[in-house]
Amino acid sequence: MSLLEIWLGILQGLGITAEVTAYGLVFAVPFALVFGVAQFLATGMTRFVVTAVIEFWRSSAVVILLFFFYYVLPVMGVTLSALTVSSLVLGLNAGGYASQAVRAGLQSLPPGQREAGMALGLSRPAILLLIELPQALVAMSPTFVNNLIQLVKATSLVSLVTLTDMTFRAKEIAQTDYDPVAIYSALLLAFFVVCYPIALAGRWLEARVNPERGTSRGI
Amino acid sequence: MGFNLDFALSTVPTIIGAIGTTLIATVLSCVGASVLGFTFEMIRRGGGATGLAVRFLIDFIRSTPVLAWLYFLYFVLPFYGIRLGAMTVGILGLSLYYSGYLAEVFKAGIDAIPRGQQEAARALSLTRRDTVVFVIAPQMLRNVAAPLGNYLVSILKATPYLAILAVPEMLGRAFDIASETYRYAEPLTVAGILFLALALLTSYGVKRIEQRLLAAGRR
Repeated sequence: MSLLEIWLGILQGLGITAEVTAYGLVFAVPFALVFGVAQFLATGMTRFVVTAVIEFWRSSAVVILLFFFYYVLPVMGVTLSALTVSSLVLGLNAGGYASQAVRAGLQSLPPGQREAGMALGLSRPAILLLIELPQALVAMSPTFVNNLIQLVKATSLVSLVTLTDMTFRAKEIAQTDYDPVAIYSALLLAFFVVCYPIALAGRWLEARVNPERGTSRGI
Repeated sequence: MGFNLDFALSTVPTIIGAIGTTLIATVLSCVGASVLGFTFEMIRRGGGATGLAVRFLIDFIRSTPVLAWLYFLYFVLPFYGIRLGAMTVGILGLSLYYSGYLAEVFKAGIDAIPRGQQEAARALSLTRRDTVVFVIAPQMLRNVAAPLGNYLVSILKATPYLAILAVPEMLGRAFDIASETYRYAEPLTVAGILFLALALLTSYGVKRIEQRLLAAGRR
């Protein structure tokens, strides 16, 4: 196979990579918002429970989480497709990371913002939705872009639970063609082509949101 | 077949027995990634064509998944006649992947040092090497200690990737048990709990050291 054929063969898996990323976001975004805000607002026992849930998804190794849910859920009588399990696990793992950005963003706002809202007679939910969250989410947007890139890269793991993403396609091609240099270089290049534009967008966002911090952070 | 607690408990000694491999892989990868990351950052800072090439390499590494790098090294090195054990390839892969991130950590650590320090070193006509070793590096180390600790935890959580290359670390042992007994749920649960405990313990330790460094810096 020529280099181009190998590359096109790997790109056949781009659909699954995109699908897992998209479904992963369906889990990640609500999780990050709800748990990030909950960790910010809650106190005492509730905060402990919220933190425990976040830490389970964030501090576990994502490889193990994926295998764990793939093999253990059926034993518990819950049968989900490989696509659903992968999206759920990778999404909630990414959501766990993003929830910390949501919380940190809310915590770093000056207290005057909330006090001004109270002085205007706004309710606590209104202050959160109209004043605090918009500022926190904009300030943290470069971090969310980084979380998205991590999610895209983590989708390479779904090749281990039978989904034919780009990584799986590379391994399939490697079974018929002995050309590891071309195949695995093409795989790296395929991910680079997907993730690098997102990273550049993140840098542009960073420069707009935090001009004083410079544009160097990215990815 | 439900979840058998007795069987799960019986797998604990075997899986814990591999904790040494997990820890060795973590520490060696962290050292490798630090050395490589610092070297990359120094070359990037030097500028010129090599600096530009390394700048691109760092971006490339950070836009590609660690799994793809592990496959790349695992299959491409033997193609060029370089035969290394799976553990060595795994440590090389993790070192290379995280060097891209640590280069950014070192960059931020160096950027945070006031310009006057470099200017003073030049005024004293120190060589570039002496400036790095005696002026920049000691101040940088204090700046990078905290993020470096966080990456140590990240690398620990990435070591289960080595199980995919059949390295007998904790997840690898869990899979050995699973393929011998055809029971996946119990060994994977045990491995999951052990990894979570290890990650939480390590990040707690890192936080403690961070606080002590901060306290020492204030004195």
